[in-house]
Amino acid sequence: MAGFIIRRLGVMALTALSMTFIVFLLTNLQPNLEKLAKTQAGARITDAEVASWIDRNGYGAPMLTRYGEWLGVLPAPLTTDADGRAIGGRCLRGHPGLAAEEVPRFCGVLQGDWGYSTKFRRPVTEVIAERLQRTGLLMAWAFATMVPLALIVGVLAGMREGSALDRGLSTLSIATTSTPEYVSGVIFVAIFASSMVGLKWFTGSAKSAVEGATFQNFTLPVATVALYGMGYIARMTRASMAEVMTAQYIRTARLKGLSFRAVVLRHALRNALIAPFTVIMLQFPWLLTGVVIVESLFVYPGFGDALVQGAQNNDIDLLLAVSVVAVIVVLATQLLSDIGYAALNPRIRVA
Amino acid sequence: MEPLSWTGALGPWLVPTLEAALIALALAALAHPLALLAGYRMGPGPEASRSGPGRAARLTGGLLRLSLWALAAVIVAFLIGGLLVQPDAKGILGRIATRLWPVWLSLGASFALVALFRRRLGLVGHLLGNPAGAVGLALVMFWVFAALFADQIAPFDPVTDVIAGMKNKPPGTPLPPPGDAAYGYYLLGGDALARDVFSRAVAGARVVLAIAPAATVFAFMVGITLGLPAGYLGGRLDILLSFLANLVLAFPVILLFFLLVTPEIVAMGVPTYMAGALFLFPLIFLTILWNSRFRTRPPLRAALIGATLGLGGWLYAGLAWNADPLGIVSMPAGVLIVFVSVVFVNAPSVFRIVRGLTLDIRTRDYVAAAQTRGEGPWYIMLWEILPNARGPLLVDFCLRIGYTTILLGTLGFFGLGLAPESPDWGTSINAGRGLLQFVPFPPLVPAVAIMSLVLGLNLLADGLREESLKE
Amino acid sequence: MTTPSSRADARSDRTHPAARMYAREHRAGLMDRREFLGRATALGLTSAAAYALIGQPEPARAQTVPQRGGTLRIQMDCRELADPRTYDWSEKANETRGIIEYLAELKRDGTLRPMLLERWQANEDATEYTLHVRPGVTWNTGEPFTAKDVAANLDGWCDTSVEGNSMPSRMAAMVEDGKAAEGAIEIVDDLTVRLHLLRPDGTLMFGMADYPAAVMHRDKIGTSVADHGIGTGAYMFEEFKVGERIVLVRNPEHSYWGDGAWLDRIEFLDYGTDPSAWLAGADADEFDVTHETVSDFIDIFSALGWVESSVGTSSTVVIRPNQEAEVDGLRPYADVRVRRALALAIDNSVPLELGISGRGRESRNNFHVAPDVHPDYAEIEAHRQDIPEALRLMEEAGMMDFEHELVSIDDDYRKNTTDAVAAQLRDAGFKVRRTVLPGSTFWNDWTKYPFSSTNWAHRETGIQLLNLAYRSTAAWNECGFRNAEFDALLDQATAIADDTERRAVMAKLERIMVDEGVAIIPYFRALYRHAKPGVLNIEMHPKYEINVHHLGWA
Repeated sequence: MAGFIIRRLGVMALTALSMTFIVFLLTNLQPNLEKLAKTQAGARITDAEVASWIDRNGYGAPMLTRYGEWLGVLPAPLTTDADGRAIGGRCLRGHPGLAAEEVPRFCGVLQGDWGYSTKFRRPVTEVIAERLQRTGLLMAWAFATMVPLALIVGVLAGMREGSALDRGLSTLSIATTSTPEYVSGVIFVAIFASSMVGLKWFTGSAKSAVEGATFQNFTLPVATVALYGMGYIARMTRASMAEVMTAQYIRTARLKGLSFRAVVLRHALRNALIAPFTVIMLQFPWLLTGVVIVESLFVYPGFGDALVQGAQNNDIDLLLAVSVVAVIVVLATQLLSDIGYAALNPRIRVA
Repeated sequence: MEPLSWTGALGPWLVPTLEAALIALALAALAHPLALLAGYRMGPGPEASRSGPGRAARLTGGLLRLSLWALAAVIVAFLIGGLLVQPDAKGILGRIATRLWPVWLSLGASFALVALFRRRLGLVGHLLGNPAGAVGLALVMFWVFAALFADQIAPFDPVTDVIAGMKNKPPGTPLPPPGDAAYGYYLLGGDALARDVFSRAVAGARVVLAIAPAATVFAFMVGITLGLPAGYLGGRLDILLSFLANLVLAFPVILLFFLLVTPEIVAMGVPTYMAGALFLFPLIFLTILWNSRFRTRPPLRAALIGATLGLGGWLYAGLAWNADPLGIVSMPAGVLIVFVSVVFVNAPSVFRIVRGLTLDIRTRDYVAAAQTRGEGPWYIMLWEILPNARGPLLVDFCLRIGYTTILLGTLGFFGLGLAPESPDWGTSINAGRGLLQFVPFPPLVPAVAIMSLVLGLNLLADGLREESLKE
Repeated sequence: MTTPSSRADARSDRTHPAARMYAREHRAGLMDRREFLGRATALGLTSAAAYALIGQPEPARAQTVPQRGGTLRIQMDCRELADPRTYDWSEKANETRGIIEYLAELKRDGTLRPMLLERWQANEDATEYTLHVRPGVTWNTGEPFTAKDVAANLDGWCDTSVEGNSMPSRMAAMVEDGKAAEGAIEIVDDLTVRLHLLRPDGTLMFGMADYPAAVMHRDKIGTSVADHGIGTGAYMFEEFKVGERIVLVRNPEHSYWGDGAWLDRIEFLDYGTDPSAWLAGADADEFDVTHETVSDFIDIFSALGWVESSVGTSSTVVIRPNQEAEVDGLRPYADVRVRRALALAIDNSVPLELGISGRGRESRNNFHVAPDVHPDYAEIEAHRQDIPEALRLMEEAGMMDFEHELVSIDDDYRKNTTDAVAAQLRDAGFKVRRTVLPGSTFWNDWTKYPFSSTNWAHRETGIQLLNLAYRSTAAWNECGFRNAEFDALLDQATAIADDTERRAVMAKLERIMVDEGVAIIPYFRALYRHAKPGVLNIEMHPKYEINVHHLGWA
């Protein structure tokens, strides 16, 4: 087991390395650097000013060298002016006015320095930590509503395959997976949050949720995320439940004279929930896309919003950190789902 | 001219019926689960469990079914009535039904054909007996025919017909005089740029159904061509390909799109190079397919491969590199970028599915038999394993078209999709969503369109899964 | 609050002679009131004195004085800060206006109000300005604000060596060899600075009131105020999160010179660029004021019961071909026939209707001078859509098969206006492809796109705009329009202080713009802002300025 986990962690590190390199490559193409220079030093600066800005701020070295600087295996050079004062360079970003001798030579991931967000003007670690916390809250509520509901719907539907209840609930869950967030979210806002329709039960903006999530300002974003994800889990639960209900031991239990209720609750449920468990874990990364949409729809400054802002402004260090987080989330949930599957199902042993 | 009403002359008859059916449906839908639960709770004995749900539950279940049928009947009555009444007695629905006549005709014809030859059609024939599958098939075919006949159905040009005074007008608004246009009304109203919402929704079907299935086909070509050897041959190749697939899958989709679709990257030609790589896979796939099958018949093999490479190469040059020597085949730059991105994110999932299926199937007896016959590995992969994996793949194909349709809309949501005047549904929803509460139809009509198409595809996939399990 | 005209009479001997000339012109009907007031205050008159000169009482200011205290939440993009001279968005100046202030302030009616200066005078031919520093102003470090600070800032404004410094173009009459001309800035005493201009310039003070001209401490020029917070204003940053929110609170350590600074706390909240998100925020009662309300949302906000304020401006969307741009090795827009054909295919009322819901006025013709806004506007023949002529010209140029790629930014009115133009061009029979770029990438190459739309902000006079955007050597000449005759006329017009004479030259300039098909300029916008009832002094400003010192609750 320990060997298995170590191997998976190794794969995770390798994936993160490859992905950050790709992201680094794409964000550091010359036109993207020019774009960065213009967003940083003014949209209307001349080409010569762009070139000097790029060189001065440490974006001029070859790509591989700079990737090494980001990793922290290569020293990042410092640009100084005629008087020997530090005026630019990777390690100076975010610390203007630092004397040249105080600037560290290495400032990469290995040193624990994730860089400086050129969009938010703060250290990347600060941005990511704050944003992850907010998105975590959104995800937690979304899961807390989505999972129980989906399991109930799925179990009820799978209990008697082919019944009217099954047909109805199945159609309902298929319908929710057919409604993308950008449709359901917009419709929710129009109905439940606008002055024109007049219900105004909730608010169509979650910006105030930053200071404190309330039932009013958090319901619609949570509902939008949960609705789209719910159908899929419900379908999986239904399939798993339906399969279990036809299994030999359930028939035996029924023949022994146990009530339908007892059969479902005591025998079928536990086995039927193994498959959905893996699905639920794998839902995490998939929900990330939904979260990005919902966060921009409801103006909630979370992780997804940081991703969009970073991508729109070519915020290199921020995007690299975002992709590392994404890799960790995706692969860690895969790992957890594998381990959890094994733990729940005694017949499977992890090699 | 007066604005049209929704139902025209049929309204007084059918609207009350519709209301009654809806109320009955709502009541039954509420009562049935309650009755079921109550039935289980109140019947502790073995008899109750054996006899299934109680009497109350059976009653509500029957009512549910009945009201559903009634609802369907009313809707059909609306359509047929709308088709049949006098032109000036038609409401909006009647006129829309009339505009859609090529779709009804083709739908009827194709269902009749399927019903006639259902024995010979195998899986598709069985679908008609499966309610979910039949409804799904009908929805999907509806949109396919709407896309095919878009030019006949849409009364206005979806992009260039901007008629002054029609901005954000409600459904059924007549055109301002002088009404010299081909059609007198904007049936579903005008959008923020005074274009016909109905025409745009219909034309949007053509864009969506041109891109989503094609992109899915390409993703399948890539996924199958790489997934089969990864699963069958295993070893280093499998490790490498699986690692790459997981790498792409670990990317947040939105970040990937932002990175690929930003103008700077496009200007560097990155999407073109990706298209150059991805569009090669259908050629490789077909070449290997013919080569492995007809190795014993060199003339046929040469002819097929020659035709594939000639025709495919021509299409490839035109589509990927915009370098068709004849200048016929080309893909607009904006569409190419979207297309490539969608193929790129879908291919790894297909790869994983194909690899998994291959790992499972290669242990079967018929594979071993083929191996002892001395068949080559590609023959076994393409002609033994692949046909036996077709059920799950077909199901995934339907689901994936739906997912791709949603993805196209997501791209539109972030302004990364097609050109802003494109009538495709995602772009229209994004353009109109800001004013949804005041001018609901411009975003709502394409939203319903997306939902119904994806619902149809999901139901179809469901039906296919059930039927293929029965086989 | 009116000023008795007798007081103005008593001072009339010291009144600037040009101002008296303007007053005569105004009475003769040659100059409208707004323009007269702007010019007169730019020369150093108080607005009361200016009103007195034309025999009118100064209009009563809003009677209600804001209450002290309270919090105001303003929806606005929260942008990062840098050296104020490099500000390229008025939002940045709004963020810092509570900390670093300006020598003078442009009011909504086009007049200037002295701020850190107590008053100023210009000599007769506007070549020498005397600036009187307001006594009693201190920095929030406790140091007094003196003529040295003013001189140091003026030096900085003239320095062209700073990347992105946009002030030198406003201080052009003092700039020589990339910096302030030798002896141009003279410190007379602690509270007086005298400027010696290289050539006459009656608009210099407008430049000093513009948003990049925030006055920094003399030792901090070139830095961002976010890093040290030193300024003369009453507020300080409590929170500064780019793209999220910025909070200003009253600085308890500092005694502010003015009688304003009513509010305790001002929050700027970033809701992104999507107006429907703003509406959702307003519906959720998350803010009290919009930065700018656009298009269909104007009526909606009014319907919510918010108070609308608007101001007519010269801001517009210019849809322009770039005459020098190459498309596939060919310069499609170097041919005047192509450019004219594009302009003739457009009925300018359609972009006005579809782009901004008629919130503005149709332009007279395709030139960049706004009627009723610009004092130097000259009337020439009106534009008329003429599709047969457009087709004839395009065919003659052999460009009927050329596909025009029309680029625009991805936002509400600019996109819709451009879409409306594209639809009309297609309607006329031309091939048009639309490309929409997100704001973050659009501005990288905005002067270079072959055919694109650009929004231009308000300027006080027409000649400023023509110099800025259509002179051969102008950095922002996005049309690639280089015409020696036009440049010569521009020089001539710029040197004319008298408007009747300038108008004659302006008419020639305008006609060249039309005949050369330089750009499609369909309308001039009115700008709108909404606030909850009870917010005072938040009325929309032609340059979007928000001075947080003036704001308050009734």
